[in-house]
Amino acid sequence: MGKKIRSHKAEKVLERLQKKMNRQIAGSLAACVHCGMCTNSCHYVLTNPGDPTYAPAYKADKIRKLFKRHIDWTGRVLPWWVSAKSIYTDEELEELKDTVFGKCTNCRRCSINCPMGVDFATFNRMARGLLVSVGVMPEGVAVVSKDQWELGNQMGVLKEDYIETVEWMSEELENELGVEGPIIPIDKEDAAVVYSINPREVKYDPRTIADAAKIFHVAGENWTMPSEGWDMTNFGLFSGDDDLGGAVARRLYDKVSELRGKKLVISECGHGYRSTRCEGPNWAGMDIPFEMESSVLTMLRYIKEGRIKVDKSRNPEPVTFHDSCNNARSCGLFEEPRELLNLVCEDFREMYPNRTENFCCTGGGGAMSMSEYTNRRLKSGKVKADQLQATGAATVVTSCHNCVDGLTDIIRHYKLGMGVTQLVNLVANALVIPEKPVVVAAPEEIPAEKKAIPVVAEGLELIGRKVLVVDDEPDILTFISTVLEDHGAQVTTAHNAEKAIELARSVKPDLVTLDISMPGKDGGYVFETIRNDPDLKQMRVCIISGKPELRRLIYDRAVPPPDGFMEKPITEDGLLINVRKILEVGAAEHSPDSA
Amino acid sequence: MAIFEHGDIKIEVDEDGFMQEPEQWNEDIAKALATTEGVDDLTEEHWKLVNYLREYYLKFGIAPMIRKLCKETGFPLKKVYELFPSGPAKGACKVAGLAKPTGCV
Repeated sequence: MGKKIRSHKAEKVLERLQKKMNRQIAGSLAACVHCGMCTNSCHYVLTNPGDPTYAPAYKADKIRKLFKRHIDWTGRVLPWWVSAKSIYTDEELEELKDTVFGKCTNCRRCSINCPMGVDFATFNRMARGLLVSVGVMPEGVAVVSKDQWELGNQMGVLKEDYIETVEWMSEELENELGVEGPIIPIDKEDAAVVYSINPREVKYDPRTIADAAKIFHVAGENWTMPSEGWDMTNFGLFSGDDDLGGAVARRLYDKVSELRGKKLVISECGHGYRSTRCEGPNWAGMDIPFEMESSVLTMLRYIKEGRIKVDKSRNPEPVTFHDSCNNARSCGLFEEPRELLNLVCEDFREMYPNRTENFCCTGGGGAMSMSEYTNRRLKSGKVKADQLQATGAATVVTSCHNCVDGLTDIIRHYKLGMGVTQLVNLVANALVIPEKPVVVAAPEEIPAEKKAIPVVAEGLELIGRKVLVVDDEPDILTFISTVLEDHGAQVTTAHNAEKAIELARSVKPDLVTLDISMPGKDGGYVFETIRNDPDLKQMRVCIISGKPELRRLIYDRAVPPPDGFMEKPITEDGLLINVRKILEVGAAEHSPDSA
Repeated sequence: MAIFEHGDIKIEVDEDGFMQEPEQWNEDIAKALATTEGVDDLTEEHWKLVNYLREYYLKFGIAPMIRKLCKETGFPLKKVYELFPSGPAKGACKVAGLAKPTGCV
């Protein structure tokens, strides 16, 4: 029998496979025990129960067999024993393309549900990269990658068009607010915030740019948008091409450095956030001399610091939140958007499952740019549609542009009649525009302990308010009580769960500050008891925890979320800001002169 | 590849419902495609927008920036979304017979 001839492309793929190996990928390729845990975690499998080709382990084996045959010693010695197989023809590469691009959105839900720690999405991405390196990829991916390489952004937007659009939004806002511009400064040096966006915003829907600008303006931020290097999306993440990933990320980093920006703020885009904030520095091989932050955190910070005021009654409709896979599963960004939503919306309802266990919008991994797989995508969206419908919300909020489009398609296809929006839109809608002109170039990064806190000394703004402070640590009980009493509040304390519930019933406080971890029954138990008690359920609760990850103890409960969150160590200022906000006690009026 | 049928109209579209052969576009096709975007009646204002998109696309082979669209038609941004609720990228471009815009849309 003659030796099989391998095509040039297949030869190259195998050659490059060796170079792509790192510990994470080799570990993932070696570790699968075919237990099937991944199967039910995948939205493709759940909607195609009769088709094993969608199972993550099956898809993984398409790549794993190459690893076994060419790298792992077991497969080189005993290929038949470990299902090791090579790849020879261009047709086989096309088949692999259909799997890695068309049957997986790299959402990583199977990865976090694998007991062996197999990160399928990571080596699925690697396989995409191998195929892309020999030109085997969906047309949409090729077009977008080309634009990002050649024009610096994924939609081929020219510099002058970008600037004209940004100026247009700036002018519209100046007219609306009746102030002199520019509200959106371009290429301002030494700004505290450099704001980067998704090209979709500038090309098709710049309302998010205007909304963000309004928030920055009212917060009195010293900010700018760069004339170049403004595209924080990165098709390198989707195509598996690390070189493209590095080149795109470097454009942003270089521009922010050139402008001597203090912080790069990334607009609401899941893959953009992950690429720019988490993966980019590695792809680009750079040390980044400035901070990077999601705009979700920026907006939340502005409210907490009293730099902007919001009126949640302007967003009365029931909303739910969809966690983007890249934000939640890959970057751990899932509590902050909820905290923000509770501050700007009246009726936030959780979707189940949520956070890192949420299901993909179906548009992840660049799927929105691959029309050839749209029917599969929509079919797989049944899981999402059911999740959405169960919330009874009128609108789904998400911090990702891809999810906006993915969800919009699902909502249309399954006729759910829901709206889709982003946090920036809701915050801008709830934003209270101050009557006095805003002073631009406000305080930059002031150390936390020196931050200008509206109202303090003379304030007895909490007079008449009853607060129940729950914590097992006596020092913290004393500290919180003293601070609140100094500001007029009537405080009762409890050092365990039973006492807390008893006092909640007898005292009927306006607010409970609740420590999560306590010996015996924890704060989660107290919280759920309060929420399930018809007499107490309206009581405002602020959760306090030294470990942010414990927040899950609260959010995993099927009851309305708490009214606030504080992290230990608690500072006097932080405590007062949170308590005032939750009790809706005006404070900023006294300031900022008193600060 | 899929076939879109509406009354007497039968055209090839991609999986997202965008025309495969944009040169075959005509006003009847636009009316038919509009029904898939929740627009049952194309008003004069719709046509103004669609015709501009069409002209731009024939000239440059891509969809125009929203800025150009608003400037040339004189419509404020809000109006565009009122006319085509799914937005300029998906709604208006589809009706005007453009190929699907590239990228995350």
